[in-house]
Amino acid sequence: MEEHVGQIWDKLVTRLSDKSFKDSVVTLAQVSKPLGIFFRALGGDNALRIVESTATQHFAKRNWKHRVAGTGKYIELSWQDEDTLHLPKQINVFPDTDLNKDLYYWLAAVNAHTLENPSAKARGLQGWFAYSQQITVEVLQRFPGLQSRYDRLVNAYLQLRNIDEYFNEQEQSQEDAIAQALTKPGCVDQLPTSQYAPKPVLLWPHPNPPEVIDLSSRKKQPDNDAEGESEPSKPQQNKKENKRRNAERVDMPDGKDGLILHRFESIFGFSEFLNINRSTEDDDEADQDKADKNADDMDFLSVARDNQTKGGKIKFDLDLPAESIDEVVLESDILLPEWDYKKQIMQKDFCSVINYVHNTGEVGELPENLRRTAKKLRHQLEALTTKRVWHRHQTEGSELDLDAYINYMGERFSGHKVEQPDLYQQLRSTERDLSCLLLADFSLSTDTWLSNDARIIDVIRDSLFLFSESLRNTGDQFSIYGFSSRNRGHIRFNTLKTFEEKYNGIVRSRIQAIKPGFYTRMGAAIRYAAQKLEVQDTQQKLLLILTDGKPNDLDRYEGRYGVEDTRRAIHEAKAKGLQTFCITIDDQGGEYLPHIFGTNGFTIIRKPEHLPQKLPLLYANLTTNPS
Amino acid sequence: MSTDTQTNEIPFYSPQGNEESLFEHAYGNQLPVLLKGPTGSGKTRFISHMAAKLNVPLHTVSCHDDLTASDLVGRYLIGDGQTVWNDGPLTRAVRDGGICYLDEVVEARKDTTVVIHPLTDDRRILPVDRTGETLHAPDNFMLVVSYNPGYQSMMKGLKPSTRQRFISMSFNYLKPAQEQEVVEQETGIDAHMAKKLVAMANALRQLKDHDLEEGASTRLLVYTARLIKSGFDPVEACLAGLIEPLSDEDDVVSALMEVVYASFGK
Ligand SMILES: Nc1ncnc2c1ncn2[C@@H]1O[C@H](COP(=O)(O)OP(=O)(O)OP(=O)(O)O)[C@@H](O)[C@H]1O
Ligand SMILES: [Mg+2]
Repeated sequence: MEEHVGQIWDKLVTRLSDKSFKDSVVTLAQVSKPLGIFFRALGGDNALRIVESTATQHFAKRNWKHRVAGTGKYIELSWQDEDTLHLPKQINVFPDTDLNKDLYYWLAAVNAHTLENPSAKARGLQGWFAYSQQITVEVLQRFPGLQSRYDRLVNAYLQLRNIDEYFNEQEQSQEDAIAQALTKPGCVDQLPTSQYAPKPVLLWPHPNPPEVIDLSSRKKQPDNDAEGESEPSKPQQNKKENKRRNAERVDMPDGKDGLILHRFESIFGFSEFLNINRSTEDDDEADQDKADKNADDMDFLSVARDNQTKGGKIKFDLDLPAESIDEVVLESDILLPEWDYKKQIMQKDFCSVINYVHNTGEVGELPENLRRTAKKLRHQLEALTTKRVWHRHQTEGSELDLDAYINYMGERFSGHKVEQPDLYQQLRSTERDLSCLLLADFSLSTDTWLSNDARIIDVIRDSLFLFSESLRNTGDQFSIYGFSSRNRGHIRFNTLKTFEEKYNGIVRSRIQAIKPGFYTRMGAAIRYAAQKLEVQDTQQKLLLILTDGKPNDLDRYEGRYGVEDTRRAIHEAKAKGLQTFCITIDDQGGEYLPHIFGTNGFTIIRKPEHLPQKLPLLYANLTTNPS
Repeated sequence: MSTDTQTNEIPFYSPQGNEESLFEHAYGNQLPVLLKGPTGSGKTRFISHMAAKLNVPLHTVSCHDDLTASDLVGRYLIGDGQTVWNDGPLTRAVRDGGICYLDEVVEARKDTTVVIHPLTDDRRILPVDRTGETLHAPDNFMLVVSYNPGYQSMMKGLKPSTRQRFISMSFNYLKPAQEQEVVEQETGIDAHMAKKLVAMANALRQLKDHDLEEGASTRLLVYTARLIKSGFDPVEACLAGLIEPLSDEDDVVSALMEVVYASFGK
């Protein structure tokens, strides 16, 4: 068997290293933006995130040949689940770049049309066969312009599909049926049976898409697997944690295939199926390290359920920031009250805040990838906030206000008595007298992964950058702080920019260095921030709060208690004449947010990736009042 | 600012619901009306249609943030060595009767919008301070304002005291079949092409908020259909008439063109 493996192996490797195929590769990263727009325009769900799919198993799993054969292994399939659209990481099926790109668009169209994703297993092989044809027909009907593209793809695909493959009679008739169904979708009712299931079809949906484990249901299952337990418990974060590693339940590879998979993996990298469930013997530390690393590197973490497993745990420890030596304490032991809603009392000197600044000693630069956006936003904000208009009817001014003058003359001629007329006009920028304090949540939950390469904290970092960049030319006063907490005695207030400081390289280096902390004792943070803002000598004072979830802490500061205290803190701030506004990416915040911030006091950004761009515009909206 | 002189022809308008009858009742009872809806959804067309149908003159004012009260009410002009009072469109409408339509009223400065307050309650008067007159609106005078809620900034918007002076009507883009009819009717394009265009516009509308600020309006659809009808290449017409007006970003434009290709082929 080994020998046979070797042969096919060579073929695969040769084919994959074939120059024309390599040159024609199209990656999802290259096309994901237009593809997303295309997908949504064709009816795809707005809320879906597009992510790279990894190789998954399909029907033909009995035989390694079927598993790895041809394009099947390399060109992963597409499928959707509740919050993601999985598309191949890259496509290099065809020697022609345009065709590879066309395949992406075709897959997007097919998935946009799949309004729901009935469990593929329920559909079965025949179901998949019929369904795929039907969807093809419908997509082509709705978007007839895709026909030529589809025809090109099918032509090219059929030429490649069965290169180097040998079929018995049954398999051949199966292949013929597929070819026919591709050429004339809707015309073949039944897929002829064969001992093996056919290879998946690249133009069709995944025959049996992996099911994402829902943590709530996973809890009920006997097996204990990775993540979750190693983190300090934070119940409401579970959903996000689940997204983050995108754990998917796939079947255990059976022993026979293990070898091949392993060899395959060592050559082509880690992004394949990786059996990380801990079987009895491999419980040593080295393995833990390796698994950790792989988990980090992998696009997906496939957690296989295997009842023979002893239930070993792999801990993915979150990188909790140590209190670094670069931290300079600005103020400590600041005592603040906290509201106890049950007793309806203010608990005096209940919380203790430490205010520090992280001086890295470096001079930070604006990250390259933000520069273009920063420039654009800066112009936009400048235009929005420093609108210059002619102020009419002035006693003094650079020009005569003709309108006023004519009216004045008219009134005089017609015999009206007019007192002191204001006959001049002056071009002036509309007066802004505003300071804004941006308070950002740096709690543990911001360590959550949003996509393969960004955590919430990264999005917050970008947001802080773009916010500062946008505001620097507006003349508005602003300061930026971050906060996190660990019990009432440890509320850490991270000063990134005070009102007095200029936005410069030092501030940038501090923003660059932000890290997730612990919990979210929001009330105390708001009270402390309000103290800072209150003393600003401007007409308008805006407290902007940037967060990703509910107030919570290790002690009883959670649920209603935390919400009520935060609400109280907001009321206190308003009583001081501050305007407050909360920007959150907690899409489940619908219930508690109006309670804390008032109906018009918050906004939910459903797509956290959009936060960096949206924040400055939101700010502009909030602060430009036309009258 | 314009005052349409009466023509016999009633501009074509395809109703979304009961708005015609509601409008007639409002007119009959001297109630002011507020039209809200996205750009190019037929608000202006509706008003011209109704004005023609009711056989009253239409005075239209496009509001902007520099619009002063005297732009609405009127001013003295100098002519031939003397000054002459010149009615603004609002005053003219009140004197002559007819519909005064303030388009995009949120754009007007707040101090301007208060000018209309006394006209919109049961006094129905317009004090003209400059001439010392107080005009009483005749029965066939009607005030109509419009605005597009999408453009509002968070602090901008109509003051409740202004808002609550109007009967309100919402406009939206028409259902596909009806919109297709409108496009055919307006441009004379064939049904097949009109259908394609409408399907595409609806695809683009899905992108509102998420990828685009605004979806493609019926107006753009009509423009595009006109280009095609006069012999311009359909794909190019879509680019110029439907896609480019929606976004300035190259990658968004090219993504939207993929949607065009999905309808017209590539
Ligand atoms: N219901 C309709 N019946 C007939 N034509 C319509 C209808 N809706 C839209 N149209 C067409 O769309 C065009 C644009 O509509 P219109 O100018 O009335 O939009 P609007 O709502 O006033 O937009 P804006 O807010 O930008 O002023 C019209 O000229 C007409 O061709
Ligand atoms: Mg209009």
